[in-house]
Amino acid sequence: MFDEEALKKVMAAVLRVPEAQIGPDTSTDTLPTWDSLRHMNLVLALEQEFGVSIPDEDAANLSSYALIKLVLNELTVD
Amino acid sequence: MKVLADPAASLASLMGAVEEVETHATLPFTAHVGISAGATADLLGLFLRRHALLSGVRLRVTQGNFDDPLGDIERFGQAGVEFLVLAPFFDTLEPAFEARAAMMSEAEIAGRETEMRARWRLALKAAARFRNVFLCDFHRLTPSVAGGDRADVVLDRFNQALAEEAAAFANVRVLDMSAMVAEVGRAAAFDMRFYLRNTAPYSAALLNVWGRQVAAASRAYGGRFHKALVLDCDNTLWGGILGEDLPEGLQIGPFDYPGNVFWRAQTEFVALQRQGVLLCLCSKNDPAAVDALLETHPDMVLRSSDVIVKQVNWDDKVGNLRQIAQTLNIGLDSLVFLDDSAFECESVRTQLPEVTVFQAPANPVEYLGVIAQIKDLFLASGESGEGAGKTQQYRQRAAAIEAAAAFDTHEDYLASLDLTVTIARDDPARAARVSQLSQKSNQFNLTTIRYTAEDIARLIQDEATTVYALDVADRFGPAGTTGVVVVRREGEVAVVESLLMSCRVLGRGVEQSLWSTVVRDAVEKGCVRLQASYRPTAKNAQAADFYDRLGLPPQGDVGGAQVYAATLAAFIPPPTPWIKVLHV
Repeated sequence: MFDEEALKKVMAAVLRVPEAQIGPDTSTDTLPTWDSLRHMNLVLALEQEFGVSIPDEDAANLSSYALIKLVLNELTVD
Repeated sequence: MKVLADPAASLASLMGAVEEVETHATLPFTAHVGISAGATADLLGLFLRRHALLSGVRLRVTQGNFDDPLGDIERFGQAGVEFLVLAPFFDTLEPAFEARAAMMSEAEIAGRETEMRARWRLALKAAARFRNVFLCDFHRLTPSVAGGDRADVVLDRFNQALAEEAAAFANVRVLDMSAMVAEVGRAAAFDMRFYLRNTAPYSAALLNVWGRQVAAASRAYGGRFHKALVLDCDNTLWGGILGEDLPEGLQIGPFDYPGNVFWRAQTEFVALQRQGVLLCLCSKNDPAAVDALLETHPDMVLRSSDVIVKQVNWDDKVGNLRQIAQTLNIGLDSLVFLDDSAFECESVRTQLPEVTVFQAPANPVEYLGVIAQIKDLFLASGESGEGAGKTQQYRQRAAAIEAAAAFDTHEDYLASLDLTVTIARDDPARAARVSQLSQKSNQFNLTTIRYTAEDIARLIQDEATTVYALDVADRFGPAGTTGVVVVRREGEVAVVESLLMSCRVLGRGVEQSLWSTVVRDAVEKGCVRLQASYRPTAKNAQAADFYDRLGLPPQGDVGGAQVYAATLAAFIPPPTPWIKVLHV
């Protein structure tokens, strides 16, 4: 299990919104700052933060908090 | 600040830290950089800001459009950008250009090169108004075939073409991208996922090196101009302690470890000296023993003649550093201090925060990395040829200080110097040096207007302005071009827009000797009044009452500057009979 608080922190820093705005419903549709450029930065930041390598096909599709959580859960299983 | 300096800091923590420091730290200096790239490199802005902050500069970043240097340059100009990063990208010259290069005919390659040259010539020409332009050259994205391939050949040729175009502009510096890629390692430098989807090829690791290089090459965006390297001796110039190990026991020499590390270090220091850096010693040691070592030890590369000021004594280093700055007449922020002792480094850091401090690491192998950083500080933006003879010039000044003690009056002493001031009007050959002086001179600089070489070239052309360059010489030798006056004629008023002088020649009346020329010229051009001003900065307090002393009546404060004016008929410049003024 990964640290959800850390996920919120990373998303807030990269997408430049207060941490409180990040939650289960957050997605590219709800956050106007979540554009394609920031998305790349987000993938890079997540990979660094959680020490994982996000597969290419997932990287492009991580368009919501829920999806990110799902992928990170898979990748951080011991 | 800790996060910013941490090489392992994550992207997310960096983003937070950069914003945090920019919002809350008091930074005296803000610079504005524009990025125009042939690939998506928006994240470069973050790393430019990181390394700017690490050298005490708040950086504003304006991003350009994708592969639109000409449009970007125009927009940047309007937005007030001072520094420009141009990053053409090889593989996007045409889609998959690295692969295509192999199937193109010679004529097609030549045509592409001509087009590329013409485009960048236009861009660089349009960019002449920027203070510094960093043209990042082409680099490979995909690995080349062992032994080199066609894309390598074309790449070299195009980079040669870029370098040739860049050479025509004094404000352009080419940054070697392939070297940055090599530093990070090709595999770690690029992220093909994002290149193929978003044309965003660069990894955070590469962008970080890039940000560091731009900060170094711009000398922290003009916020820094280091002049002198102050060296400790024991375990810095040689391995071991002179007082304990005695000359025979010191580790120094080209053939054995760790003596070879110190030998290489000394070689690097002397090479810096040859390129215009002033070397000083600051060591708690017996001065006679250090002198003897510098004179006679067979394996020393550094000799007494390479060192301009020696503070070898048992006093504390903070006082000694102050003394060095005073003797050389330069600011403490022009000093770089290198010492192996954590205690000495810390005490200088805390008591003299203006001084840049490096600690020589206990592990000699790591020492070379520290020396590379020091070299970067001094050489990154290129010393001019005239810089190279500077130790010689400062030495003359030091000799002159000693000679001063022997005369009864100051004027006797000045007369003994055989001072000659050669005043050149609107001389294009001196434009580069004049611009350099305007960038470097802080203490005796009345209005602190920084001119680029292009600015000066323009002022020289302008009928309404005269650029005076002053070459000073005395019996110890020539000091080169060391003073600048810019006079602008506005109707009947001759306005002194700039007056600045290298501190090396101050205190000899040179700054007084130029006025008869300025006044005569102004009268000849039909002016009846002379106007000048003093604009205070953090560093030019010593020039605050210059115009008062010159005898110009103050007229009050206008927009933060003290303005002086007089009719030319009423203004009689103080005589300087000890100076011979020539005109060329």
